Amino acid sequence: MERDLVEYIAKSLVDYPDEVTVNMIEGEKSTILELRVSDDDIGKVIGKHGRIAKAVRTILSASSTRDGKRCVLEILD
Amino acid sequence: MIREFEGKTEKDAISKAVAELGLQQDEFDVEILETVSNGIFKRGSVKIRVHVEDESAGVPLTDFDGDLEKETAEFVTNIIEKMGYPGSVSVNFRDERKLGLDIKSEHSAILIGKKGKNMDAIQLLANVYLGKITPVDEKPARVIIDSENYRRRREDSIIRMARKTAEQVCRSKNSKLLEPMNPFERRLIHTALNDMNDVITKSEGDGLYKQVRIIYKGSRE
Repeated sequence: MERDLVEYIAKSLVDYPDEVTVNMIEGEKSTILELRVSDDDIGKVIGKHGRIAKAVRTILSASSTRDGKRCVLEILD
Repeated sequence: MIREFEGKTEKDAISKAVAELGLQQDEFDVEILETVSNGIFKRGSVKIRVHVEDESAGVPLTDFDGDLEKETAEFVTNIIEKMGYPGSVSVNFRDERKLGLDIKSEHSAILIGKKGKNMDAIQLLANVYLGKITPVDEKPARVIIDSENYRRRREDSIIRMARKTAEQVCRSKNSKLLEPMNPFERRLIHTALNDMNDVITKSEGDGLYKQVRIIYKGSRE
């Protein structure tokens, strides 16, 4: 499931995996995933010029085409 | 498994392959890549590519050299599984600077994605991950992820497309702009067209994805 996917990737990349939370808001056609990490780890999930965030979103959309739903990733700070 | 060897003659290259791989000659397929004939200043050489049937095909997580490789492969395995496209990850090749991982999955088409987009995203995360778990005083290796030999097929098709477009440019004498490509792919084009006297190549645009323009200059020699 997409929520596990985002949580797994985020926990693998940050220094404080215990502070990673993913909140899922399910809509009719799309799901919103809100990712929250420690303040010190924000850069680790976004990356230079948003490279990491973009890669995670790409992987997420590849995954969510499986059940024909759209998935939106929001990184909260 | 695919390996490349070079020798003075085809026979010479094959015997090198036999010695290094510890296999009989009938156990692998040989493809001749390049033959340079004897010149005045240069001795001839033959480059071959050797294809060996992978006996370990389908056996996941084998033949890892150290924990870093193993953990990186596990990271990729977990990602594709959580994406809903499970498969196995094995080591394709390795040298001091690079680690090649190969994904075997029945869902490889979606894992590769349009123009390799999804595979590039997985590769980027694998690189960030390996960078994180590599000790600070060591330089992390670069992870290169492949599936179904996609990278080589894409390289071949880019070079073929570039040559074809260059021929069109020569005929029409008008320049042509190619689609946006990443630095690695643009470099392929610049090198592939470097030996063509009638055209020059230039990159246009900003950011990671620039476009290559092929321009006619005519042979002035």
